[in-house]
Amino acid sequence: MAGWRHSITLRLSVAFALLATLVFAALGLYFSRAADDHMAELDAHDLFGKLALIGHVGTQEQSAAAFAARLGDALIGEHGVIATVDGKKGPIFKWPTAELAEPLAAAGVSLGRTPIRLALGGTEYRVIAADMETPWGGTAHVVVGRDIRHHTDFLDQLQHDFWLAIAAAALLTAVVGALIVRHGMHPVRDIARAAGRISAGQLAERIPEQGVPPELAELVEAFNAMLGRLEESFKRLSDFSADLAHELRTPIHSLRMQTEVSLGKARSTDEYRDLLASNLEEYERLSRIIADMLFLAKADHGLLIPQTEPLALVPLCERLIEYYGLLADNVTLQLSGDDLTVGGDRLMLERAIGNVLINAIHHTPAGGEISIRVQAAGGTAQVSIANSGRPIPEDALHRVFDRFVRLDSGSDGSGLGLAIARSIMRAHRGDIAVTVGGQVTTFHLSLPLEGDHTAL
Amino acid sequence: MKILIVEDEAKTGDYLKQGLGEAGFAADLVRNGLDGMHEGLAGDYDLLILDVNLPGLDGWQVLKALRAAGRDLPVLFLTARDQVEDRVKGLELGADDYLVKPFAFSELLARVRTLLRRGRAKEAESLSLADLELDVLKRRATRAGRRIDLTAKEFALLELFLRRQGEVLARSFIASQVWDMNFDSDTNVVEVAIRRLRAKVDDDFTPKLIHTLRGMGYVMEIR
Repeated sequence: MAGWRHSITLRLSVAFALLATLVFAALGLYFSRAADDHMAELDAHDLFGKLALIGHVGTQEQSAAAFAARLGDALIGEHGVIATVDGKKGPIFKWPTAELAEPLAAAGVSLGRTPIRLALGGTEYRVIAADMETPWGGTAHVVVGRDIRHHTDFLDQLQHDFWLAIAAAALLTAVVGALIVRHGMHPVRDIARAAGRISAGQLAERIPEQGVPPELAELVEAFNAMLGRLEESFKRLSDFSADLAHELRTPIHSLRMQTEVSLGKARSTDEYRDLLASNLEEYERLSRIIADMLFLAKADHGLLIPQTEPLALVPLCERLIEYYGLLADNVTLQLSGDDLTVGGDRLMLERAIGNVLINAIHHTPAGGEISIRVQAAGGTAQVSIANSGRPIPEDALHRVFDRFVRLDSGSDGSGLGLAIARSIMRAHRGDIAVTVGGQVTTFHLSLPLEGDHTAL
Repeated sequence: MKILIVEDEAKTGDYLKQGLGEAGFAADLVRNGLDGMHEGLAGDYDLLILDVNLPGLDGWQVLKALRAAGRDLPVLFLTARDQVEDRVKGLELGADDYLVKPFAFSELLARVRTLLRRGRAKEAESLSLADLELDVLKRRATRAGRRIDLTAKEFALLELFLRRQGEVLARSFIASQVWDMNFDSDTNVVEVAIRRLRAKVDDDFTPKLIHTLRGMGYVMEIR
């Protein structure tokens, strides 16, 4: 159950319980202090009252014996009070009895402005002492004590109750907290359920964004956005599979037809030869599509690893122009730019630039021109291939690098050339882009410049 | 010239054997690595065509065993996977050339001939067929005594044809030999180049020397 260690419910409940304990303990401490202070004040008030009484009786009587008798009368009915009055010649008065007051006399309490606590014979007292001048001569030492057992009992009870209350509160907040948290987690469970319903076939489903608490809205939005991206790439993938099947089926279908019809009756050797030759051409096309598809699949899986060597771009373009230029009838090809060197796989880069060049040649009308420029731009080497002619429609620009996209139906290519060019550029940490201006379409191939490897 | 083919795919093996036989080679076929190793060690072959993916002993192991035993016959290996590591590994183990399946048979034939020709007498400096003559050193071509003006690439193309008289040259092979373009692109550049060469070398003359074999490539010969 290691998962419990990370349970939000558990952690929050424990935190609630701790908080409740702390708050109650602080309150309890404060109240018992306040009660204690209040009791002490009451006791002091009482004791000062007794001192005043004794003082008053002391001024009324002319002898110690009369004083003791009168004081005894005055204190009748006072429970929990003990008192001693000592004169110069010995004890004058003990209350309530000589035995009970004995420990107080023995304690020898000194004079003080506030009462002190004293334990006498197992009982808690608050006591205070004072001296008074007597009419019969000399000073008498008065000590008055009050039994505060009922106060301490009350405080003990209070403390005990508080501990119980703390324990109960901690338990209750933990349980209620857990319930609240579980309830609060409802939206999360809802989201999880919604997410659980989504499978490859239902990528169009989204987690409803209404009614989601604001704290979770961001999560849901991010999740839905991820689904959107997944759906798009999934759609692309299945479109691509469908396209692939179509691309392979068409030549295979024509091969089959051709062969079946030819075998339908006896023919001359020349006719058979023609058939086989035509079949061979189709096979070649099929193999090329498959090889290109494998190349792209490898690129998709990050398995396209260029064998890097320094390559001078201008001579490389010159060679490509010399080769593919043969296809450019009545089209001017121009190469200009700086003498830049990049690190790259010669075979792959030739293929990428070559594919873009073939594309440009195919789309340039007679009398048009293609200009190829090599230049440095912001830490990258750029090869721009611009051709005149009918520009690519704005809304189709983003699709030109997709697979099996042929923007003009007359094109006889496989529709993979530019996709391959892009894969190659990306495997080289470069990129390819296309821009259109007026009657000119320009492809920009960019590569990190040689010597710039550390910056990447 | 004796060639040993080690190939486990039945159809491929049979047609390789037939094709090489019809091209004038004595070809033997074995269908697994172990037989390939024994035959390669015992037989007196001039060339080995070795499939990499074999049951039992694979192509690499066969190649290693042969080289370890001091057999230095040229080896051309065939691989179905176009992985750079495969190529590098094969060449490191001492193979001389490789082809990625599927390949054009004419391409294989051209490679086989190159490998068998390697290390033989120095290449001729003047080449000819019928009344076509080529002086390689002076870069001069004449037909029926008339000087023909050729670009550098046209000259290289014509030289290739003359050196390979009677051999079918696949378009990919021509692109690789003349332009050093080593990937199979879906264009008819070679076709255009040959049309232009024909215009200069063949159009105004008889007999015609450059012939098209539909679906396969081109051949230079007197028919």
